[in-house]
Amino acid sequence: MSIYLLRRAADRASTAALYGCMALSAAVLGLILAFLAYRGVGAISWEFISDHPRAGMTEGGIVTPIAGTVQLILVSMAFAFPVGVTTAVYFNEYSRGGALTKALRLAVRSLASVPSVVLGLFGLAFFCVFLRFGASLLSAGLTLGCLALPTLITASETALQNVPREFRDASYALGGTRWQTIYKVVLPSAFPGIITGGILCVGRVAGETAPIMFTGAVFFAPGFARSIFDSVMALPYHIYVLATAGTRIDKTEPLQYGTILVLLALVLGISMVGIVARARLRKRL
Amino acid sequence: MEEAKMVTKSLFMSYSRNAPPALKDVTMDIRANSVTAFIGPSGCGKSTFLRCLNRMNDFVRDARITGRVLLDGMDIYSPEVDVTNLRRRVGMVFQRPNPFPFSIRENVAYGPKLLGARDESVIDEIVENSLRSAGLWEEARDRLNDMATSLSGGQQQRLCIARAIAVEPEVLLMDEPTSALDPIATARVEELVRELKRDYTVAIVTHNMQQAARVSDTTAFFLMGELVEYGPTDVIFTTPTDQRTEDYITGRFG
Repeated sequence: MSIYLLRRAADRASTAALYGCMALSAAVLGLILAFLAYRGVGAISWEFISDHPRAGMTEGGIVTPIAGTVQLILVSMAFAFPVGVTTAVYFNEYSRGGALTKALRLAVRSLASVPSVVLGLFGLAFFCVFLRFGASLLSAGLTLGCLALPTLITASETALQNVPREFRDASYALGGTRWQTIYKVVLPSAFPGIITGGILCVGRVAGETAPIMFTGAVFFAPGFARSIFDSVMALPYHIYVLATAGTRIDKTEPLQYGTILVLLALVLGISMVGIVARARLRKRL
Repeated sequence: MEEAKMVTKSLFMSYSRNAPPALKDVTMDIRANSVTAFIGPSGCGKSTFLRCLNRMNDFVRDARITGRVLLDGMDIYSPEVDVTNLRRRVGMVFQRPNPFPFSIRENVAYGPKLLGARDESVIDEIVENSLRSAGLWEEARDRLNDMATSLSGGQQQRLCIARAIAVEPEVLLMDEPTSALDPIATARVEELVRELKRDYTVAIVTHNMQQAARVSDTTAFFLMGELVEYGPTDVIFTTPTDQRTEDYITGRFG
């Protein structure tokens, strides 16, 4: 066979293989979504998303865990976003790559690979017991914040690295100090990328069960958390409870799938908001 | 002939401890209210030299600089010098237009705001004057709030010049400011350079000898980190004393 035919055959085969793999991943995702929608859509109603759970979780809605999850996201991001972005700014703009920076970077990478249940136990020991925050929205939110930190730091660092050096040069050449340059030029330019990192983290934070089950999420709460020291219900933990702790499976199973759909919709909704916000920022830049 | 605005004395610079020197014993004057051109082949040290004049080489971590650089007689490398104030006095325009991803107005207002300008009417006035000096006012006056990136490359470079002069520098350093521009935009920037020397001292690096001949009063020829020869531009281009200068300007190498 001539070399040309061989090359063409190899090109076609690799194209086919790539398309095949792409189709396979899309199919897996589609299958999961279709299955969840099929099982859960029957449970969705206005009552389901606006009512508190009743009758030992066999009736009523899930507004309490929805609100709890939103509150957890807010608390975790209020902690992780400023800390993560500041850390990334330190790594990328201030550190000179010495031993301390290398150790800190290693620590951040390691934090990313800590199993979430271990993080949950850390949260219990540190936030709940040592800092006396108890099993609360605050403890659970901070634990989730720790979970989000490594992703947020890495994403922010990448975004900062992508800011062209020419922008910094221009600012310094005009007599800008380092902080002025970071605050007025580098951070605004990196912001769309940082937001992307934030969106990824919110999805992760919203869906985690292990870090919150010891630190603040409860089986049942009679109403919304009114202070950061109240414990909360949360969607992923609620799903876990419905799936494992019920005795009336005929009644809880549809609710369980409905809750899963709501959680997915919430995460997707937040991602959409983030993506739109990012697109707007990009356009303004 | 005017006084020397900047003076370098036995300036050596290397990019790291073991690297060969990028500048070797450069001693020269840059005269006030004139245009000084630095020419030479790639890697000859002309841009490195320019960046020593406003301490942009401070960002090169292992750079070593010895010798003295004086601005109005003051050593800019002495410890008591405030680098940000030095860079305000010695402005810079870069090789590729690098406007910030802000509006045209915000680009020009950036420097004055760093220095504490808050009054919007004062800022408006600075923006207008700077854009006028950079020859961009007529083109930009109706679109001051448009993104700077909506301008053409040549307009962007003139915007960068407007941005640089908005902080009222005394010296303007230009590092191959037309190398990314087309011939028409280049001609406009060159015309601007000739006008700017009325108010500023201009030092311009160029790889284009015709450009040096067209815009400068004094030309300095660098080769392998050494200042081979410098003097009035017409002398350098007609009767250079050094054989290497003659070889370079007649196109025997480069």
